Amino acid sequence: MSAFFDGLLTALQPGNLAALLAGSLLGVFAGAMPGLSSTVGLALVLPVTFALDPTPALLMMVSIYMAAEYGGSITAIAIGVPGSSPALATTFDGYAMTRRGEAGRALGISLFSSMSGGLLGTVLLVLALGPLSRAAIAFGPAEYFGLGVFGLSIVANLVGKDPFKGIVSALLGLLFFIVGLDVLTGAPRLTFGTNALMDGLGLVPMLIGFFAIAEALEAVTGRRRSTPPGDGIAGALPKARELFGLWRTILRGSAIGGLIGAIPGAGATIASIVAWNEERRVSKTPERFGTGLPAGIAAPEAANNSCVGAAMIPLLALGIPGSASAAVLLGGLTVQGVAPGPLLMTERSELVYALYAGFVVAVLLMLAVGRLGIPLWTRVVRLRPSILMPLVVAISLVGTFSLRGNAADAWAALFFGLVGFAMLRGGYPLAPAVLGLILGPMIETNYRRALSLSSGSHSIFLESPISLVLILLAAVSFAAPAVRSRLISGRTRAPEPDTHDGPDTHDGPDTHDGPDAYDNEPRHEEHE
Amino acid sequence: MSLAVVGCSPSGEEAAFPSRAIEIVSWATPGGPTDLLSRALAEAAPPHFEGRRVTVMTRQGGAGAAGMQYLQGRAGDPHVLGVFTASGTVNMATGRIPFSPGDFTPILRIQIDPFLIAVRDDSPFHTLGDLFEAAHARPGEVSVSGFGAASAHFLGFARLRAAAGDPDVRWIAYEGSADAVVAALGGHTDAAHTNYNIVREHLRAGTMRVLGVALPVEALPDTPSYAEQGYDLTPVHWRGVVGPPGLDPALRADLRARLMAAIEDPGFREYMERAALEYATMADADAFGAWMAEEVATSRDMLRRLGILDE
Repeated sequence: MSAFFDGLLTALQPGNLAALLAGSLLGVFAGAMPGLSSTVGLALVLPVTFALDPTPALLMMVSIYMAAEYGGSITAIAIGVPGSSPALATTFDGYAMTRRGEAGRALGISLFSSMSGGLLGTVLLVLALGPLSRAAIAFGPAEYFGLGVFGLSIVANLVGKDPFKGIVSALLGLLFFIVGLDVLTGAPRLTFGTNALMDGLGLVPMLIGFFAIAEALEAVTGRRRSTPPGDGIAGALPKARELFGLWRTILRGSAIGGLIGAIPGAGATIASIVAWNEERRVSKTPERFGTGLPAGIAAPEAANNSCVGAAMIPLLALGIPGSASAAVLLGGLTVQGVAPGPLLMTERSELVYALYAGFVVAVLLMLAVGRLGIPLWTRVVRLRPSILMPLVVAISLVGTFSLRGNAADAWAALFFGLVGFAMLRGGYPLAPAVLGLILGPMIETNYRRALSLSSGSHSIFLESPISLVLILLAAVSFAAPAVRSRLISGRTRAPEPDTHDGPDTHDGPDTHDGPDAYDNEPRHEEHE
Repeated sequence: MSLAVVGCSPSGEEAAFPSRAIEIVSWATPGGPTDLLSRALAEAAPPHFEGRRVTVMTRQGGAGAAGMQYLQGRAGDPHVLGVFTASGTVNMATGRIPFSPGDFTPILRIQIDPFLIAVRDDSPFHTLGDLFEAAHARPGEVSVSGFGAASAHFLGFARLRAAAGDPDVRWIAYEGSADAVVAALGGHTDAAHTNYNIVREHLRAGTMRVLGVALPVEALPDTPSYAEQGYDLTPVHWRGVVGPPGLDPALRADLRARLMAAIEDPGFREYMERAALEYATMADADAFGAWMAEEVATSRDMLRRLGILDE
């Protein structure tokens, strides 16, 4: 414990504290800007850290990483565009709450959950470094395949009122992921002979296209919401009692984030969607998820911040980056002459403890920076969508371009914008397609890798207990919504919950994101 | 009037090099080894370029083609440079990128990063011979994980396997070298094909061992090289600086001299040491050019032999 306090003293030295604060500001900004992410924020400061000593350099980087995971939820909640991909699940309930006029409440819940998740992830990092790093490497191709299939089964909860359209959407996402170089053979697939498609269609252009451009098209074509979402929108923060009442949700979300975050390559996006889905599963009112429930914000936000500490586990214990952001961090550490690996804890313990303490300070600074920003964001929300959305599109496209300095990404975003607009018009939910694009590569490459290792025998998926359990969970999770709704409709005809917010009722079908359509589910069941 | 004309004459511009900031185009993953080289160079270079700013400009996409296209489009401009690697020449060989070494002006090869084969400490294998014998005895049951398909890593391993009499060792492709090491550490594959710096800490901690290294590494005095184990080849990962096509020979020599001085900078030396990389500058820029052409040819031969490339 005294080592931790020494670390705390180090982190609180003026130079280090300044580095942490700078990281928090930049992190919230990078997270909130659609197109930028924690990875981009870290890559931006990488050259700056060259000039710093190892401790402030490391502290600035972890602070960016932490703050960006909260930052992503700001735009997700305020305008329904995930600022970075781990905030995707936050749009489901966060944006719905904003449309009800409670942007301040939603942002407050997100900030509090992000803080709690960040702290719990740090506790996990400190206490379970060894065991979790061993668990992480137990994940081989069969286990990753199981995790991917389990993740994809969540589609069943995102399809909305028309399962057929939801499945078409998911298949479309799976089709988009095929584009690009095949990881296992290096052969180009569906690139139509162009270089621009060689790296595939990215998640960021898809998120920008679906959530910013398609929405903007809806707004400017006057098909939806010509009035600002809720005149006299409340900037009021949630009450402390409400926040502390979410403790179970936050614990569950943080645990999911901590476990999935520690597995290299799985990542915060998957963790936050799984956390949202689990919360929905254990809820007594699953049909109300997606209509602006506090738990639907708290779970993914606790999970994606808990992932930050967890992603450090394989990095510190094994020298293996667990995420794209951790890979940039590793680059920064290498330049500083800090080599993470099995000996780091014994050889550089003072630095490791400063890092642990830095995490705690970074979380608190994130809370302060985030709290100061809430009034600003609740004002942005009051802008007319027909003005706000084109602005968002312009900013998003710049962000998409700057990600890799490649104009093809901006074109891809425009392409997805048109696809998304067409899907919205046709009543197809967008979230399943995003899930398909995220999980498709994980499922396909690991399926083929596993079969390559087992000489073609599928028993490899059943011999691994982790993979077996995940595949069974996937089956249950996929079938659950249908089974449950059948049970409910068989027992009592549930009264239709009136969750449509008065001034904000849309003329078209509300298919902005899958779960939104859930308030229609009981209605659908009554037709049967 | 006449003064202005003189100021704009080509000889006036050449004498003034560098007349503005230097750009290093980076098409590599941020934070990865190639990106780090670009950034370390940008840190060390300014004093050797009359104090001009040296910036790294990211242009990713198309397996590097986007950045290379930009570089190629700046013909004759000595202010734009790029870091080229073994992955680039392999991508030229496969046709994945529509360029050849002749599209750029080779300037200076800087470093090599020898390939090696590592196993978990409890592996039954102790030499490369053990690994290949097992593969001969049990075809298809021995697996090696490494970065990419038809990549520099894959071809480095394919050449070694060919030298061992083509036993049926499964190549399990991963998205990155670190992922390939995790697969071996977790016992999912029998060995990992990687670079020294990625497994260095595991070697120091004793959690992994090296079966063989392509070239003797100073830090691994007891590890026999491929050649010492009877496989006569030295596949390495290498990185160097190239310029746009059509660089004036005098400017090219000037650039080479300035970069040579920059990589002797103490800060750059420290980076090389910390990243566990070895200096491997060649006699002159032409030798580097010949090396690149040879790399493309060797890769192409191997790809044809494996049936990945037609003809």
